[in-house]
Amino acid sequence: MPAKSTLKNAFPVILLTVVVTVCVSLLTYVDSLTRERISAQEDEAVKAMLDEMFPDMSRYDFQNEIYIIYSDGEQIGYAFLAVGKGYGGDINILVGLNDDTTLKGITIVSQEETPGLGTRITEPSFTDQFAGLDVNQVALSRDGGRIDAITGSTISSSAVVEAVRETALEKIKQIEEEK
Amino acid sequence: MAKFGKEFAKGIILANPVFVLALGLCPTLAISTSIDNALGMTLGVLIVLLGSNIIIALIRNFVPNITRIPIFIVIIATLVTVVNLIFHAYLPATYEALGIYLPLIVVNCIILGRAEAFASKNPVASSIADALGITVGFMLALLMISFIRQVLGTGGLSVFGHDLFSLPGLKDHPIAIFTLPYGAFLVIGLLMGLFRRTGVMKSE
Repeated sequence: MPAKSTLKNAFPVILLTVVVTVCVSLLTYVDSLTRERISAQEDEAVKAMLDEMFPDMSRYDFQNEIYIIYSDGEQIGYAFLAVGKGYGGDINILVGLNDDTTLKGITIVSQEETPGLGTRITEPSFTDQFAGLDVNQVALSRDGGRIDAITGSTISSSAVVEAVRETALEKIKQIEEEK
Repeated sequence: MAKFGKEFAKGIILANPVFVLALGLCPTLAISTSIDNALGMTLGVLIVLLGSNIIIALIRNFVPNITRIPIFIVIIATLVTVVNLIFHAYLPATYEALGIYLPLIVVNCIILGRAEAFASKNPVASSIADALGITVGFMLALLMISFIRQVLGTGGLSVFGHDLFSLPGLKDHPIAIFTLPYGAFLVIGLLMGLFRRTGVMKSE
């Protein structure tokens, strides 16, 4: 019977359609279920990092991609994210500035550098070098700056330094314009 | 029950996913740099492989041969994404620890390999045993490779922040090649050769 064989031929297509529809609905449902918690989770993570960078922080505002840090109603600094092109992928860096736009410090949020070599950019021996510097001093020492590169990880070190300097210059300009 | 045990044990040595089936080598190369990573990846694979083997064993009788691969892939990708979202929302610490490994599981051919070679032809109970056995086999292989790479590549061993031991001399001058991908090829190749030479494992 032709009708029956048509149905038989169409069955795989119908089944695949059904499976995809079920999967997509499930994903949409799980996404709507978890979206709020995930963004709350991420806010929490940002807050924890800001807290560590600015121990006196009482609250923060997020405006035009810049976190403005307050301590008892007084503005004490800024923070923003910078993205460096590392050896293994993007390096996300949280950069903190004091109110006078010198560097408060940096925290590596995420990175995919070579374990044992490039991953050392997350260690305090590297990141602590940034605290207190003026943005123009943020360069590797071989380029006349104040940051010592990690031996064997020049690409990772320079990616962090470049990203911090470029982004900080841009954000300081933005902060001054908004004042 | 005897069959359950047999399917479970098979995954550990006779059909060890890494050394015998040579499945899932891509994530194995990428993450076997430390014991922490090995355990994180194992947890992810356990959840996804168990889920996909169960679902595929359940629907194996309806799925026509010509569309089975796309159907399996859609199911596995959905499962990985759902697990990813749920972990992100409810188990943030574990999510953080698993990092890139959870999404990487979607390209882990162990999952599709077992769906295709086993779960699509066997009942649910055997498929669960198969998933568990393969996961244990995968874990043992990852632990072995990571142990060698971590000790030689970093000069010591630390698990979840606890320093277990460090080798004087090697600590100051670790053989960094072992933390890089080609170090992984060396270690996997040598282990695979060793196991075959001694006859512990044979290719199928």
